[in-house]
Amino acid sequence: MPHLIDCEIVMHQEIAPEHFRLVLRGPEIAREAKAGQFCMLEVQAGLYPFLRRPMCFERIFPDSFAIVYRVQGEGTRLIAKMRVGQTVNVQGPLGKPFPLRREFEHHVIVAGGIGVAPFPALAEALIRECGAVPEVIVAARTADQLVCEQDFRQMGCKVHLATDDGSAGYRGFASDLLRELGLQENSVVYCCGPMAMMKATHLVCEAAGALCLASLEAEMACGDGVCLGCVVEANVEVEAERMVRVCTDGPVFDTRLIQWESY
Amino acid sequence: MITVNLEITLGGLRMKNPVTVGSGTFAYGQEYDAYFDIAQLGAVTTKSLTLKPRAGNKTPRLVETPAGMLNAIGLQNVGIDVYLRDKLPYLREKRCTIIANIYGHSPDEYVELARRIEAEAGADAIEANLSCPNVHDARTARGCALVAQDPNRVAEYTRALREATGLPLFIKLSPNVTDIAEPCLAAQEAGADAVSLINTLLGMGINPETRRPILANIVGGLSGPAIRPVAVKLVWDAAKVLRIPIIGMGGITNAADALQFILAGATAVAVGSMSFRQPDTALSVIRGLEDYCRRHGVAQISELVGAMRV
Repeated sequence: MPHLIDCEIVMHQEIAPEHFRLVLRGPEIAREAKAGQFCMLEVQAGLYPFLRRPMCFERIFPDSFAIVYRVQGEGTRLIAKMRVGQTVNVQGPLGKPFPLRREFEHHVIVAGGIGVAPFPALAEALIRECGAVPEVIVAARTADQLVCEQDFRQMGCKVHLATDDGSAGYRGFASDLLRELGLQENSVVYCCGPMAMMKATHLVCEAAGALCLASLEAEMACGDGVCLGCVVEANVEVEAERMVRVCTDGPVFDTRLIQWESY
Repeated sequence: MITVNLEITLGGLRMKNPVTVGSGTFAYGQEYDAYFDIAQLGAVTTKSLTLKPRAGNKTPRLVETPAGMLNAIGLQNVGIDVYLRDKLPYLREKRCTIIANIYGHSPDEYVELARRIEAEAGADAIEANLSCPNVHDARTARGCALVAQDPNRVAEYTRALREATGLPLFIKLSPNVTDIAEPCLAAQEAGADAVSLINTLLGMGINPETRRPILANIVGGLSGPAIRPVAVKLVWDAAKVLRIPIIGMGGITNAADALQFILAGATAVAVGSMSFRQPDTALSVIRGLEDYCRRHGVAQISELVGAMRV
């Protein structure tokens, strides 16, 4: 059941150029939130911006939760100005979490850019609930855009870096690095990032017979499955079910369900 | 302290208060029941229903605009069969008053939808959407033409529906006209019990970097507080010529906004896009209206309809 509550900002720090971590005190939301779910932040009172901003949980604590975001547009530019002690109205938790599948032996996280956002919470949950320490690929355009790398290392995860320009780790795409990790049928891959990157990850997984779960991002008005603005096309014949909602049917999808052709 | 009566009769439909929701901003009710008891609404207005399920338009379908949003969803909906089977029981169980919004490609389709709804007790009133901007190919000449822009077609569609159903019949019209009186009068003369004003304003956006339209459909409908002054003015224009009541909507965010519509001449109001931002907006509008009536010594909310002082 989603809540609509005012949350106090308890921490707000720049973790990389234009990248921030915001920690909010909101016990009702924190107690129910699960890795892969998200919340909708009211940027400010008044009518500008008109819509809330969807943000997934980066960390979930007993009485608070963290989000990680990159300044991308008007909404995040305003969020970046928020100060510790200020309150923010937050709606959540929303969406479906990552399924925690004990039957898989090899868990791999593939994070592209700000797509890393849901994964520290997932890594924690996998370690706690499944006793599985995931391998993590953190990829970005350049070395200074890599975030959360240390968080994964502190949890004991084996971390691989990839950058487009080779300024850190593997030079090239995360999906190419993933192929080199030797996926098998007992592997499960969790990915989040640009659609093209998730499509490539899906294809690598498909070839290896591994399960691939993607957390999708979309512009959304409501976050509750009402507006039908955030849909993506699915591989479904039935007309009424072909456009699936990122907010309530997802944001986590088995990548075999998604129609990747246009990406 | 005076007792305030918020009850109204809207073209034969009794509502416990004048507040409903804009079609397409409340799905089929259940989603927002998680935030407040939707049975407290004067009525729940459903997402547009079509004979067959529809997947809607390509994406992107939605973009935020200053104090509003532009959408081209394209009437994605479960279709009348699934509505009657899976969505209606929840609303009936909760004893909600229901306005079913319907969309068809011809008078015959509207008639079939209305007959199904009446025969299977699928709603307490029908709102015919003659003004959806997002179901045509915008690239063609006159590709954005709407039934609601042609008074003759408004009359034709309304007459067909009037002959088909005894349920209260509301006609949802478009602001994209030169003279709102024409389609309003056409609907009234053809037997409508009320008109819903306004649907979204046609709009579009272009990304200069890519030179591509922001919406896949190119053109969409603008909603939200940005359009409120336009909506209030059109309700006022319509009220000057109509005998039948008006459901006013367009950018309502609180009771003060709703009162503008009522004072301009609307008997009922609908909360639209603001529910996306704040799901319980409609409930706060109801409470705010009651509070306003108390503060102003108004015993019946209907006394305020068209009561702007000029």
